[in-house]
Amino acid sequence: MAVANETYQPGTTPAGLAFRESWAEWFDRHSRTFFIAPAVTLILIFAIFPTFYSIVFALSRVRFSATGLRFRFVWFDNFLAQFSGNEQTHFLGRTTEIGIFGAIFALACLIAALWWLYKSYRNGATWVGMTGRVISAAMFVFVAFLLGATLLSGNPWGTLLTTLFYVIVGCTLQFIIGTALAFLCSQPIAGKSFFRVLFFIPLMITPLGVGYAFKMVLDITKGPLQPLWDYVGLQNWAWSTDAWAARWFVILGDSWQWIPFIFIVMLAALETVPKDHVEAAQVDGASSIQIFREITWPQIVPVAVTVILIRMIEAFKIVDLPNIMTSGGPGIATESMTLHSYFLWRANDMGSSAAVAYLLLILTVVVCASFFNYVVLGQLRKVK
Amino acid sequence: MVSATTGVPVNFEGIEKSFGAVRVLEELSLKVAPGEFLVLLGASGSGKTTALRILAGLETASSGRVLIGGRDVTDILPKYRDVSMVFQSYALYPHKTVAENIGFPLKVRKVPTAERDVAVKEAASQVQIDMLLDRYPRQLSGGQRQRVALARAMVRRPSVFLMDEPLSNLDAKLRGHMRAELKHMQSTLGTTTIYVTHDQIEAMTLAHRVAILEKGVLQQLDTPAKIYNDPANLFVAQFIGSPPMNVVHGSLEASAFKTTGASVSLPVSGSIAKAILGVRPEDCAVVAPSKGNIRGEIYAVELIGDHTLVTVKTGADMLTVKASKEFSGAIGENIGISVVKDRLFVFDAATGARVR
Amino acid sequence: MSDTAFRFDKAERSLMERLFEPPAVGRMSPVAKVVAYSLLVFWAIFVIFPIYWVVITAFKDAAAVNQGPFYIPFVDFQPNLDAWRVHISSDPYCDVYAIGRQFVLYAYNSVAFILSPVVSIQPMEPQICKLYLAFSNSLVIGIAATALCVTIGSMAAYALARVQYKPKFGNVVVFVVLTLLMIVATSYAGIPWYFSAAVALALFFLLARAFGKHFKASLSNGDILFWMISQRILPPIVVIIPVYMMFQSVGLLDTHLGLIIIYAVANLPIVVWLMHDFFASLPIELEESAQLDGCTRFGIFWEIVLPLTRPGLAATTLLTLILNWNEYLFAVFLSTSKAQTMPIMVAAKNAGEKGILWWEMCAVIVVMIIPVIIMAIILQRFISKGVLMGAVKG
Ligand SMILES: Nc1ncnc2c1ncn2[C@@H]1O[C@H](COP(=O)(O)OP(=O)(O)O)[C@@H](O)[C@H]1O
Ligand SMILES: [Mg+2]
Repeated sequence: MAVANETYQPGTTPAGLAFRESWAEWFDRHSRTFFIAPAVTLILIFAIFPTFYSIVFALSRVRFSATGLRFRFVWFDNFLAQFSGNEQTHFLGRTTEIGIFGAIFALACLIAALWWLYKSYRNGATWVGMTGRVISAAMFVFVAFLLGATLLSGNPWGTLLTTLFYVIVGCTLQFIIGTALAFLCSQPIAGKSFFRVLFFIPLMITPLGVGYAFKMVLDITKGPLQPLWDYVGLQNWAWSTDAWAARWFVILGDSWQWIPFIFIVMLAALETVPKDHVEAAQVDGASSIQIFREITWPQIVPVAVTVILIRMIEAFKIVDLPNIMTSGGPGIATESMTLHSYFLWRANDMGSSAAVAYLLLILTVVVCASFFNYVVLGQLRKVK
Repeated sequence: MVSATTGVPVNFEGIEKSFGAVRVLEELSLKVAPGEFLVLLGASGSGKTTALRILAGLETASSGRVLIGGRDVTDILPKYRDVSMVFQSYALYPHKTVAENIGFPLKVRKVPTAERDVAVKEAASQVQIDMLLDRYPRQLSGGQRQRVALARAMVRRPSVFLMDEPLSNLDAKLRGHMRAELKHMQSTLGTTTIYVTHDQIEAMTLAHRVAILEKGVLQQLDTPAKIYNDPANLFVAQFIGSPPMNVVHGSLEASAFKTTGASVSLPVSGSIAKAILGVRPEDCAVVAPSKGNIRGEIYAVELIGDHTLVTVKTGADMLTVKASKEFSGAIGENIGISVVKDRLFVFDAATGARVR
Repeated sequence: MSDTAFRFDKAERSLMERLFEPPAVGRMSPVAKVVAYSLLVFWAIFVIFPIYWVVITAFKDAAAVNQGPFYIPFVDFQPNLDAWRVHISSDPYCDVYAIGRQFVLYAYNSVAFILSPVVSIQPMEPQICKLYLAFSNSLVIGIAATALCVTIGSMAAYALARVQYKPKFGNVVVFVVLTLLMIVATSYAGIPWYFSAAVALALFFLLARAFGKHFKASLSNGDILFWMISQRILPPIVVIIPVYMMFQSVGLLDTHLGLIIIYAVANLPIVVWLMHDFFASLPIELEESAQLDGCTRFGIFWEIVLPLTRPGLAATTLLTLILNWNEYLFAVFLSTSKAQTMPIMVAAKNAGEKGILWWEMCAVIVVMIIPVIIMAIILQRFISKGVLMGAVKG
């Protein structure tokens, strides 16, 4: 790959090769820069720079004025407000009174995390690895404490846990169903290509459309399932009144949209498993399920964990569906962190909005990086 | 017709190359004469391709200089070196037709279309593929692809041809045929050619001179005949020739090579405790056990066709003898081997160097 | 092994065995078949039904929606075009003449918008058919953003696959520090952004030139690639407020160009990720051969590499196009009227006091999803040929 371009210096033109540098030559000599510069510049200006700029918003009280924006530096007030101040219930949930189950659960998680840290310390992790593990463990314990103090103590939770609920429950559900469908479609089945195309389509439909479609389809009084609701006596009920029903409602729409993604990738992975491995097992008399568990699955695990990672990264950004299907309600029950930040922005509280967005970034990075380091890399290493 | 051009000389001056900690070429110096067909011969991994790529400019040397036509091109971009290369995989562009493939070097040099067409036709007819010009590479056989690659290399009349194992993807029969064509073409064009191969037959048949590389070190640079008849060291002696040269371990004492149960007097003087005697299978003959210089017992007998290969076990060594096709002997039978005295080589077992 | 384990005569097997045993290797047993097909059909209904419901709702009128569920057109209810009339004939500006004039303006503006804010975009028809405006906006923004993103992204991906880059770690740190300083200076000290940006940039090149050679540690292509791809982790909400402010200060708010840029950046990681994989898997001899023949880097990219990755390029383009077409969050923040895209138009139907006008909204959704379904079917072809799989395998 190393080519002579890199050592080529201007001025070393050989005597005897009559050669005047035209602009095309100059362009070619700098092509390595020109190839990558546009992408780097765009990312720097429109992704990296705004990310840094966001810090200023998050650390300031921002007001509009005649000359533009006025920033007043307030240290971490915006963040602290999310954790212990007036916004706490919104972001974390009500955490003041922790019940007995919650306390036990939080304690158990704390001990598990400490044990895990101790074990990796004994196994000789580097200090970088150790730092990463401490961060992952701290995040884990914090979330466990929140869970203990809210859900397990009968208190409402905030947008942080709602987002994690969408990510963890949504991804798990979608992965299981998507893989199962992929497995079915990899079997000798008539009409395979029809199912393939059909099952793929929801992924490509705008989330907005998905949201409204589900709102319509599951409408209690005018939706197609109205006879069913009547029959079970729910005609006066509404999705928007029950926190859990509303959350599952969002998960349903999200799954409808994203199961196709898992499905399509896992199906492609299933089809790359060498045929002779499967045929050898068939000759040995293994059933389809056995073949899947013993032969196919081990070969597609790397793809599986990668696809979960990708799905997770996208899941953290969830906003369209809760916004449309429930407007974040009832109360804040279905509000994701992006939606939370969006609402704050609409209320002209740009500092808090940026702070919540930043907290989402931190959450996403820690969870995804942990998953990548402890699960994906492990699986990839196993393959190699 | 393409007329013979006068080739240019190519010099490697102390080329060294390392990939990280791995030394791939060590102090490679060689001079290629104008119009010469030089073959770089060596086992796989000996650094032949690396040397060729350094010459082409696709790789940069760690130190040393490369000269083409007397001009230092060490830091020059490949495109200014005026060399063309035939890759082992042919590197034909799958999305271009044969004509477009051959014409591509001219197209990037902005040669006018009409002129280009003429050149493409001429090059194609040189390698006898003029009827395939509209096909795509995937519609060609291996031999035809090979010809397209050759045509593409010669269409712009480079001052040096580089070829990296161009025949190794062909079947044996076609390879023999293409070898002859290559040789003919090179002598017609008179272009300096550097040809990399691991196949000694290719090297011997094609080359004006052969350079043998081993572990990045140049072992010998000479004409095929000299390489065969006068190897510089044990490696070259064993690398060239099929079946390879026989070796017998022993010691050199006062102009005589001594081994268990045998003694051969030699024209070389000196004494070495651990020496190796080398003799080619065709310079040996099977004789009665009492007569030969070396005694042993028959290990295997293989009838090749016009001759028989007899493998004889003597001490710890195995010797192969080229005997007449009428030879018959049972395995395990005792036998003697007589050798042609002035066709013997002695090497120092410790260094592999030739003892003269 | 008992002799009952092997019974070759079909008749000897019990009914249960025959139900659960495949008739031949590579086939399914009857029971498995029933289970599999019921699951597949169930899922197919689950997938189709919401789409079906949206489509029929688009052909209902207010009464047919409000009086409870009607399922089958012509049987349960009489389909009509009320919902479409609102968008087309009841929209006073939806006449052919206005749209024709709009096209002329487009011809001019398609040049101007590339150069905007330098060349000012002519105001389009002040009042134009809303549906048409949204559709054409979506189309222009979607296609332009996709073109920009795929061009820039595949160039970067190719370079990362073939050329060694060694940016100095120290320079990166200097860049970050200067950026932060610039931001602080702009927001708290009130220095104009163009001034502080220019100073920071100049300082960066000065420092990089002066100290660059003293920095030892450098990054590799892998690091750059990871950096680019990992931008996908960034939640859009993090960058959206600053981008809003940036766009406001340079007049890009509610313009096509603004949305095009931000859409392109948002999808750049995907393009780089997928295309890098295609480029890296090409045999390098083709490029080396072209290099010896005197091709420039860009010539190699254009003549050799791109044609060879055409299926991958097509699939990536299609995917990016669909993502851009569906994008909602950036559009909500960054477009207010002129540059409104289809998703905004859909959401706008939610805003009335009369509640959601389902039939009108569904008409817009149908317009939105028809192109996508066609593209999805084509894209699916590519995926089932394994075109996009390399990247996922990591
Ligand atoms: N790009 C490279 N990076 C690291 N090692 C290389 C590279 N290219 C070649 N080598 C090593 O250099 C040695 C010589 O390679 P090569 O010149 O291809 O041998 P040959 O062509 O004689 O078979 C081999 O051991 C090979 O592993
Ligand atoms: Mg080689």
